[in-house]
Amino acid sequence: MDFHDLSIFMSRSNTSTAINKTGSWRFMRPAYREKTAPCSAACPTGADIAQIQMLAATGQLKDAGQRLLQENPFPAICGYVCFHPCQNDCLRANFDEAVAVSQIEKFLGRYLIETSGNPPCSSLSKVSPKVAIVGAGPAGLSAAFFLRSLGYGCEVFEAQNEPGGLLRWGIPAYRLPLDVLRSEVYRIEQMDVPIHCDRPVDATLRAKLSKRFDAVFVGCGHSRPIALPVQGAEAVLDGLAYLKQLRTKVNPRIQGRAAVIGGGNSAIDVARSLVRLGVETLVIYRRRQEDMPAFTAEISRALAEGVEIRELFTPLQIEPQPSGYNLTLQKMKVANHGGQGQRATVVADAGRTRNLHVDHVFTAIGAEADPHWQPPERAFPEALHLSHCTLTKSHPKPVVYGGDLTNPIRSVADAIASGKQAAMALDTYFTSGWHAVEPRLKACRVGRGSSLSMEIYKSGPRGARLDQLVAFEQINLDYFRPRGRSTVGLSSGETREPVFNNVEARREAGRCFNCGICNDCDNCRLFCPEVAVTKTKTGRRIDLDYCKGCGICVTECPRDAMVLTAETP
Amino acid sequence: MRQKNQPVTDFLRPGHVGCPGCGATIAMKFALQALGSKTIVVIPACCWGILAGAYPQSSLEVPILQTAFATGGAVASGVRAALDAQGDTETVVMTWAGDGGTFDIGFQALSGAAERGEDFIYVCYDNEAYMNTGVQRSSATPYGTRTTTTPGQGWKKTRKKNIIEALAAHRIPYAATANIAFPEDMIRKFQKAKALKGGTRFLHVLATCPTGWRIPSEQSIKVARLASQSNIFPLYEVTDGIHYTLNYEGDQTIAAYLEMQGRFKHLNPEDKNRIQAMVDEDWQLLKQKPARSDESPSKP
Amino acid sequence: MKQVLEGSHAVSEAVRLARVSVVSAYPITPQTHIVEALSDYCSDGTMPARFLCVESEHSAMAAVIGAASCGVRAFTATSSQGLAYMHELLHWASGARLPIVMAVVNRALAPGWNIWADQTDSLSQRDTGWLQLYCEDGQEVHDTVLQAFRLAEGVNLPVMVILDAFFLSHTYEPVEVADQGAVDRFLPALVPRFKLDVNEPYALGQMASPAVYMEMRHSIQMGMARALTWFAQTEQDFSEIFQRTYGAIETVACEDADVVLIVSGTAASTCRLVVTELRARGERVGMLKIKMLRPFPTQAVRRALSGVAKVAVVDRNFSFGASGIFAQEVKAALYNMDRPPQVYSYIAGLGGRDITTVLLEQIWVATRETSAPSEESIWMELRTDLTAPPDDPAEEPK
Repeated sequence: MDFHDLSIFMSRSNTSTAINKTGSWRFMRPAYREKTAPCSAACPTGADIAQIQMLAATGQLKDAGQRLLQENPFPAICGYVCFHPCQNDCLRANFDEAVAVSQIEKFLGRYLIETSGNPPCSSLSKVSPKVAIVGAGPAGLSAAFFLRSLGYGCEVFEAQNEPGGLLRWGIPAYRLPLDVLRSEVYRIEQMDVPIHCDRPVDATLRAKLSKRFDAVFVGCGHSRPIALPVQGAEAVLDGLAYLKQLRTKVNPRIQGRAAVIGGGNSAIDVARSLVRLGVETLVIYRRRQEDMPAFTAEISRALAEGVEIRELFTPLQIEPQPSGYNLTLQKMKVANHGGQGQRATVVADAGRTRNLHVDHVFTAIGAEADPHWQPPERAFPEALHLSHCTLTKSHPKPVVYGGDLTNPIRSVADAIASGKQAAMALDTYFTSGWHAVEPRLKACRVGRGSSLSMEIYKSGPRGARLDQLVAFEQINLDYFRPRGRSTVGLSSGETREPVFNNVEARREAGRCFNCGICNDCDNCRLFCPEVAVTKTKTGRRIDLDYCKGCGICVTECPRDAMVLTAETP
Repeated sequence: MRQKNQPVTDFLRPGHVGCPGCGATIAMKFALQALGSKTIVVIPACCWGILAGAYPQSSLEVPILQTAFATGGAVASGVRAALDAQGDTETVVMTWAGDGGTFDIGFQALSGAAERGEDFIYVCYDNEAYMNTGVQRSSATPYGTRTTTTPGQGWKKTRKKNIIEALAAHRIPYAATANIAFPEDMIRKFQKAKALKGGTRFLHVLATCPTGWRIPSEQSIKVARLASQSNIFPLYEVTDGIHYTLNYEGDQTIAAYLEMQGRFKHLNPEDKNRIQAMVDEDWQLLKQKPARSDESPSKP
Repeated sequence: MKQVLEGSHAVSEAVRLARVSVVSAYPITPQTHIVEALSDYCSDGTMPARFLCVESEHSAMAAVIGAASCGVRAFTATSSQGLAYMHELLHWASGARLPIVMAVVNRALAPGWNIWADQTDSLSQRDTGWLQLYCEDGQEVHDTVLQAFRLAEGVNLPVMVILDAFFLSHTYEPVEVADQGAVDRFLPALVPRFKLDVNEPYALGQMASPAVYMEMRHSIQMGMARALTWFAQTEQDFSEIFQRTYGAIETVACEDADVVLIVSGTAASTCRLVVTELRARGERVGMLKIKMLRPFPTQAVRRALSGVAKVAVVDRNFSFGASGIFAQEVKAALYNMDRPPQVYSYIAGLGGRDITTVLLEQIWVATRETSAPSEESIWMELRTDLTAPPDDPAEEPK
């Protein structure tokens, strides 16, 4: 007898539990849903900052640069001069210090210049719509950049003998090196955009442009300084004009003591330029220092460089003297403290005046546009007042007003945003009509503010992100260790802004939480008890046949790139 | 944060009946990632006796031998002897037992195997109670815990047994704690245990039980992490029973750890202070050990 | 080669010859000599096996379960308390279908520590799915151990080879120790039906729901049922090589007997003398030795007792609240028989008390003289001189 024919039935198992579809247990469902990082929503250009940091941190500088260019033609310029609202909203600030986004942007911008990284664009075609751009400032040049990327032909008409606008004539060289500006302007020219300098657009030329071109973008800015309404003011130098003098290398020797009247960026630019020339400088401002419209970082730098700010003073009279000027200053007092973010109301502190003797007086209390460039009033029916530009269709061809003419904040980043918004508005108007403009633009928001993304406009993958902003509570801090910012060595006496090197930039970019986007950390797959997360070519996938909805993946995602929602029956 | 050096082959199959968020399944995933396919897993009675699958299924890609509750250390000894007798010294024998089957009913067999220097890896995945039978206390249940056999005001007033100390006293080549919330550390320790062939290697792994600890399933890893961050489950290694290495120093009090779990919600501030004092005391004692162990004689 | 060996060593020689790979050992008198001998063999290289000095009998069984699950020949030995301690694992070993062989030296159970012969320990385990073979002398125990491996491996069920404490375990007798070559012919290397294997992984012992558990248990019974014929085959093959055979039961002078004494273990050896003596005096008495208790050889017993009027079962054991255990087993086997013999149940020799020829003769007389068996088992030679405990002065001794 052969004992092998005995059949045994026992507990011996070798089929897989995988036939049990435990996904049926689920009452909560996880999903990969990227969200908007607060920094990118705060950025007027809507730059995809979290993504850019991720690419930079892993050494993918080319891709990081290209992502920057997708939303901003002037990354280097912004790196030097932007007031970085991104850093103000950076969630990392709640943990140790905000990521030095502007420094990294500066590094990447310079990298792009060095490697001649330019975005691809379609070549000019004879039948493509063409847009005339008035003013080669940041708004106009941006409009050209974005219109070109959408396939439009552009030509720029600039009154001065060089392009750049305030970038060239307003912002001092120690803030923005000339070679950087020229390189980034060159980028625009490389896109088949002729820039006609010494071509101010008067009424005649304007009419011609309206005939020859399919639309006009007006980005001529505020070229007329506002005069100081004070006796003796005609004797003093306008701050902006002085800055331009400095930029044209006409540098009269200047010494002694100067007063700069005003509280905006131009006033600070003048003040900081003067201290560099060895002049003892006072800034006279009628409200409190905290009410000054100049960027906070700029004010801090000015103070650090020795500029003195005399707040709550306004000039009553300026009397020229044999040498210098006598200023009679009225002391002001706060009548009504402004609420959060509001400026205080001030009134004269009756009877209290001060005399001040200085060698030089500069005014920088603002500028305005030439009257015939003013955008139409709010009530004008044929005008669409968007956040950063005004689209009108009343002329033979549509005209878009942008830049400082329309922007709520007069900054370079807002100017760029203006150019982008104008490009989108015109494109939508041409392809889908007037009533499509607002909803189309609204669909391209980054977050829920006014920042727009060209990538979303072009139906890129970024459009899939939720416009919900990541909150600090959603960041899983267990995955981060406090680590201060990279400090860039500055030798004493260094007057130019510091620049990260490759190592410092990558290290600093590595501090970014990458809020709301997947950075491949693999936590979800690592911890899943059901082995239900797999890697795909484009990211990760949850096998809903097995996922029990425990939610560990969502909790352990350090950066809120996932959501856990109720399972619908 | 990239998880570098993580092996990616999974030996755990989906479709097992683990509660959502089960720490024991995550622990097995990491263990087998480290040990590889030439592993035989001996499973005495515990949650994993069920997680392993019901006839005719198995939830693992490697062979499993289910055994009676008390026998984790003894059955593994027999398996090892049989493999060696057949000339297979490469296959790893791993006992995978719960805290009940290690600290209580399985302690004798574990101690016997350790004293004999059996060549195997003994893993206790610790969810700090008899969870499979519905949350009864074991000698691994921490001071302060409510279970069905330490209910109401009869919550457990004896300390958790220090199993690493007990095993270190056997002078086994390697004993270490590990935590599913620290995967790199855990996988490193399993790989180290695998390489230290020839004697008994003991790993004490903290494995959350959302069901028994009364936490939402999505907090499973977070709570485990807090245990080590609060030094109530320190991460350390003991080689040859005398050389101590601390792997991690936490900086949290136990407040958040206790707060997150329903099994502790009956504790009043005085109880919590007492627990904090106990944790601090144990932690200070542990911290002194690496320095003392440097002065110890090297192994014979 | 013939040697004078004590029973324990007859066992250990056979274990060595069977080329067992893993031995687990925990000491308990009177089996300790078995494992001590094996320890020597493993230590001096005579036996290339792994010897595990485990820390309890429960672990001893656990260790051989682990080893047998990996497809090697495994052996352990125990008695009494040790056997009782491993009880849950005895169920496990058979449920796991593991061909483990264990020597059990029948010893009384405590309290009242008693290290002497008593069969209650092994008989308490008769439900655990182990085959049970009761041996009478040194040669039989040696041969039965060798057969046990073949038997176990044929049906994938564990086998107990059982011998009386001291009367057999520590008694020296001449034993023909088998030759290794002959054993190898009889018992080739184990080719397991299943084993744990990383190259072909599966899980052993997974949860079995009501939907499948009954069939698993039935499969065990099928193995047991097959074991009867497989045992006969094994004995035949053994006999062809070694010229010795024993049978699941053995009958002596039963054909025309009026009374058949049913015995097991060393008592059978004594009983042979009684039967010879009585037959010489013309008495129609016979003896039925039961070697195999599990599976119970019902048909063989019925055939052997067909036409016999009375049987007297001598039990060196007891199931409290019922009766002697062999008596129960015999009654159950005979119940559906056409005109079954009357079954008289006697209890003798518990705790190592001697079963003498005189006692067996008394049992025969009592059986012959009584027309019907009493309901209760009759306890032989109970002492009347033992006083009641001091705090119970009212209690009268029997």
